[in-house]
Amino acid sequence: MPRYIVERSFPDGFELPYGSAGIEVCRGVVGVNEDLGVTWVHSYVRGDCRSTFCVYDAPNPEAIRRAAERNGLPVDRITRVTVLDPYFYTPSNVAEPAAPGRD
Amino acid sequence: MPSASWVAGSIQRTRWSFGTYRDDEVGRQHPLRVVVGDLASSPAVRRLALQGLSVASVRDMARETELDPIQLHGLTGGNPFYVSEVVAGAPERIPPTVRDAVLARAARLSPAARRTLEAAAVIGPTVEPALLARITDGATTEESLAMGLLQAKGRRYAFRHEVAREAILDATNPGERLVLHARLLGALETGPEDDRAPARLAHHADEAGDRDAVLRYAPQAARQAARAGAHREAAAQFARAVRFAGAMPDGERAGLLLEFAQEHALIARYDVAIGAFAEAVAIWGRLGDASHEALALTSLAKSYVSVGRNHEAEAASRRAMEVSEGLPDGPEKVEAIFTQAYLRMLDRDNVEAIELGRKAIEMGQGDPRASTSVVQAWNTVGGARILLGDDGGRADLETSLRLAHEIGSDRLAGSFYSIITSALGEVYRFADAAPYFEAGVRYATEHDLDSARLYIEAWHALALVHLGRWSEAGAVASAVLARHDNSTISRIMALLAVGRLRTRRGDPDAWAALDEALALSEPTGTLQRLGPVRAARAEAAWLDGDAARSGTEAAAVFELALRHAHPWHVGELAWWQLKAGRPVADTTAASEPWRLQLAGRWREAASAWHALDCPYEAARALLDGDAGAVEAAHGVFDRLGARPAAALAARRLRELGVRSIPRGRGPATRANPAGLTARGLEVLRLVAEGLPNHEIAGRLFLSPRTVDHHVSAVLAKLGVDRRGDVVAAAADLGIETQNGQSAGPD
Repeated sequence: MPRYIVERSFPDGFELPYGSAGIEVCRGVVGVNEDLGVTWVHSYVRGDCRSTFCVYDAPNPEAIRRAAERNGLPVDRITRVTVLDPYFYTPSNVAEPAAPGRD
Repeated sequence: MPSASWVAGSIQRTRWSFGTYRDDEVGRQHPLRVVVGDLASSPAVRRLALQGLSVASVRDMARETELDPIQLHGLTGGNPFYVSEVVAGAPERIPPTVRDAVLARAARLSPAARRTLEAAAVIGPTVEPALLARITDGATTEESLAMGLLQAKGRRYAFRHEVAREAILDATNPGERLVLHARLLGALETGPEDDRAPARLAHHADEAGDRDAVLRYAPQAARQAARAGAHREAAAQFARAVRFAGAMPDGERAGLLLEFAQEHALIARYDVAIGAFAEAVAIWGRLGDASHEALALTSLAKSYVSVGRNHEAEAASRRAMEVSEGLPDGPEKVEAIFTQAYLRMLDRDNVEAIELGRKAIEMGQGDPRASTSVVQAWNTVGGARILLGDDGGRADLETSLRLAHEIGSDRLAGSFYSIITSALGEVYRFADAAPYFEAGVRYATEHDLDSARLYIEAWHALALVHLGRWSEAGAVASAVLARHDNSTISRIMALLAVGRLRTRRGDPDAWAALDEALALSEPTGTLQRLGPVRAARAEAAWLDGDAARSGTEAAAVFELALRHAHPWHVGELAWWQLKAGRPVADTTAASEPWRLQLAGRWREAASAWHALDCPYEAARALLDGDAGAVEAAHGVFDRLGARPAAALAARRLRELGVRSIPRGRGPATRANPAGLTARGLEVLRLVAEGLPNHEIAGRLFLSPRTVDHHVSAVLAKLGVDRRGDVVAAAADLGIETQNGQSAGPD
């Protein structure tokens, strides 16, 4: 399944309530995502909480947008990405090179 | 078996204990009945009766599987053990655990009772006692009833669970099973009329391996199903007959293949249909049966069209014309002429299509054998006229629908919806097409017309893109693309919708969709597919900032568009070439909005696009205008979520010296209170600024009448009578307005 980074901005700051309310928010998001075949892997939140960079696995960008709408989350930009890490060129990968990019 | 008093005593000694049994599996004579009866009088005992699982619970348990919950509920009768075992064993239909449980119980039957049970399983989920008696010697059901394998239901027996029946059937000696099916077939054939449903006879004939009986009953059952609109069942019954048709006389076999192929084409199994049509053509060609050969050739041509093999379709259609040439006027000749008319329409040689279509109508009118060809000829003529911008085509199409209903053909009624939606869509009359999308999808769904439904939905997705309803467009297109047994043409149009959508939103994977759309369109060689696909690619390249590529994409099919004088494709393809600085020879064929846009009359072009309800296209036309126009365009792009175009508009505004450009917020952050449309919200904000209607009209490039309409809708939705109250009402709903009385939670 393709992986995407979803950039979202929250002009008034992004806030996740503590405790059970926060758990409920996350559960709700995950539930909606599941119906659409979308998986929220994790997010990076900017220091001032005004934007987030969310890593998603999804069948296509339309599914991400639908999930965002149902969850009431903004979407600024969706970018398709692949994973690249310092160990990408291990001997087994070098023997059979696979370019990062399309999968 | 412990005695009741011992059990009761044990219960009194311990704090509490549970005992369970299945009341539906304990016969009247079972010793447990005595224990339970005695216990009932003990004050320490509470008896709880448990119901079987509801459909909702079954749905819950089967959520992770592909199993249909309603079917699973029927299969298991809601028995929790069976449900959980079938769910755990999916996709296998009957898991070994369930089979073992059933067979263990059946193993306790006497041989005679076991044989009776097997015969009952052959008869079906419900069992007529008279039939059971006729196919078994001395039927004995008492033991099965006592053991809960069978139950009495009115005048019949029924298996408690369908899984039980299937397990018994599976475990029956195949030779014995065959004999039972054969006996049952004989009993049904000589029994009362009510028992002689062709589908039932065909099933037992098949299981009995009785070739003649299959060939007698399966086609009957298939035709009956087709008449009832159950085309999947009809295809399956014809397939059953074809399996037994190896030794049939050639002519009859070709006839069967033709019907078999027609039903498979209806359920979008074109690969199977094409093979069978071609085989029928070959057989009739060998037999020198020109009229049948022509008929099969025309069907073959239409299936080729459905999978985008237009060159092969053309060859088959031309051959049908040749073969039918020597025949007297009659249904085959009408069909051959209509098919050629249809192909001309698909090629957008609309004038020729209308001429041939009318010829077919004239020749076939009044001949009931030619009625389906005549219906389709009306359809073709109507579609071609709409494509030429002649609204009389709608009346022709309505005639085709009326005639289709008159002859009871849901397939042809379905193609009415395919043609009217796609023809109106191709000439950008999306709002006019709207009611037909909904009605068409409903009709096609109700009548198992998958190919028609998917094609209509693909066009609906495309219409929604142009109408600016992007979220819905994404959902509809994704649903079409999720189907793997799709016809090529539906897939092309859905990919086109997704490609345009991703391009306009600035989402990734736009090129993946547009590359696949092009690869699928190229073999068709038709403007109908290549025109819009190349135009969408030109648009994508332009938004990528690659003007040269945009021009090349547009130029690739411009000649083809010119040759067919297609107003919309000529217009759009000319536009992208012009943007790329390529000289464009001839744009006289371009439709009104494009003609205005190409002539630099951006204000009128935007109004023309507005009249067609195409907000993105209208805003794009405004990009060539003054600062006010570009600002309005920026607002529309921002509201639609058109990130790349909004960025272009912002850059253009800076070039024009505009200092403050409103920061984009993206469409998803804005809720839509009071059920206002996006346009309604825009009008609301301007009303709140105190602008009179004619100024709002100027600002939004709308006609004053349209603005009057929007303003009254906005007032009604906010529930206020006076314009002066709008600001306060908007603030209550959390809608931001420029007057500062803004907005709550977002």
